[in-house]
Amino acid sequence: MIELIDVSKSYSLKGVRKDLFSRLSFRFEQGRNIGVMGPNGAGKSTLLRLLSGAELPDRGQIRRNVRVSWPLGFAGGFNGSMTGLENVRFVSRIYGQNTEYVINYVEDFSELGKSMRLPIKTYSSGMKARLAFGLSMAIDFDCYLIDEITAVGDANFRRKSKTALEQKLDHSRIIMVSHSQETIKSYCDCGLLLTHEGLTYHDDVESLLSAYKASCA
Amino acid sequence: MKDLLKLQLRVLGALMLRETRATFGTSQLGYLWAIATPALGVAVFVVVFGAAGRRPPFGASLALFFATGMLTLEFYKKLSTALMTTFNANKALLTYPAIKESDTLFARALLISSTYLVIMFLFYGTLILLGMASLPFHPEQFALAFASVCLLGMAVGTFNAVMLSVWESWLHIESIFSRPLIIISGVFYIPSNLPPVAVDILKWNPVLHLIEWIRMGYYSNYNSTVLDKGYLVSFSLLMLLIGLIGERLTRKQRAGL
Repeated sequence: MIELIDVSKSYSLKGVRKDLFSRLSFRFEQGRNIGVMGPNGAGKSTLLRLLSGAELPDRGQIRRNVRVSWPLGFAGGFNGSMTGLENVRFVSRIYGQNTEYVINYVEDFSELGKSMRLPIKTYSSGMKARLAFGLSMAIDFDCYLIDEITAVGDANFRRKSKTALEQKLDHSRIIMVSHSQETIKSYCDCGLLLTHEGLTYHDDVESLLSAYKASCA
Repeated sequence: MKDLLKLQLRVLGALMLRETRATFGTSQLGYLWAIATPALGVAVFVVVFGAAGRRPPFGASLALFFATGMLTLEFYKKLSTALMTTFNANKALLTYPAIKESDTLFARALLISSTYLVIMFLFYGTLILLGMASLPFHPEQFALAFASVCLLGMAVGTFNAVMLSVWESWLHIESIFSRPLIIISGVFYIPSNLPPVAVDILKWNPVLHLIEWIRMGYYSNYNSTVLDKGYLVSFSLLMLLIGLIGERLTRKQRAGL
């Protein structure tokens, strides 16, 4: 269960101040898979960063009593001059995992072969996404925060990630940001619509999708 | 609480291994150079001054006197400048919620300090083997002095890192401040023997106190009239406090960029 209590978050860049959330309170129930939709710039990725704890709110509290993943996105927290293997080892150490197990899993999942021993900066974005996704699947979390990552890669990789993610859903929950209605439909059972006006909760996906369509129109 | 401590140790351990790889490269040669460079720097000075017929300002060994000054100064400078660029180098890491920017500072400081522990061990060890020095006379004072180099270096390094992250020109301004250190820190002379009017000015320089303390620990009778441990430690703690508060206050600004 993750709970936002009276959370405010704003950015100011080059003197332009942008309020993303003001005094937002919301409870993410553990039993549900939640889709997050909304236009660009509404704060979806920031919401995931706040939920993971990578970023602190300006005010308010965020409570977690489950193991939450880092936000799984395209770029990830990879160091470009280090090899795929070194990056995997590093993350597995931070999370106190069995490094050998994680490496084997990622090698098997990402199918990067010898590229695992090359610096990340030589990877294509598809390769990076495969590595990032494989790495996050190798570690057991109660809640996975997913930022569009399933939308990358070729058909084979997408099938594989779908299978892996579905297996995870037996024990874990996901909070997923996506623009794809198909993706949201296949993974989520409720959702949040995040627009510049604020946040609304929808208890089923159909109502989320129609509200999303209406907000885009 | 116990879990938090475990997490902290895990994060620091992983970061140190990563820093080792990033700093020294993949080859053992990289680490060898990191250890050899400061030591060779001192050696060059000793040879040049020795050839010029310079007599050691204190004790019987020119090499020992310069080493207590130069290695201490190099150690401090390495900490204060290498920590400065930590935030930029580790931006990608902040994806992982367990890692905070202060962890990257601590990990780098730990790695540098342990490297200098090895450097000093090897350099002083070599001098002892060559009969140019004895063991430190007051090892507990020497150890405390070493720790205070870590503390001051960490404090100024943290301050520098925060300053650089809000103001790019700090890179150049810092080098203006740190360049005269080799002259005003007592590396080549005994501060206690200077005229009082010079001492009154130089004693504001905390690095001078570091070197004095190291020498008090190494020599049996290096009676510094200048060393003020209270000033050194309070200065370091104050800088660390300012640095850490600054880190907290400017964190959001760095995340937004």
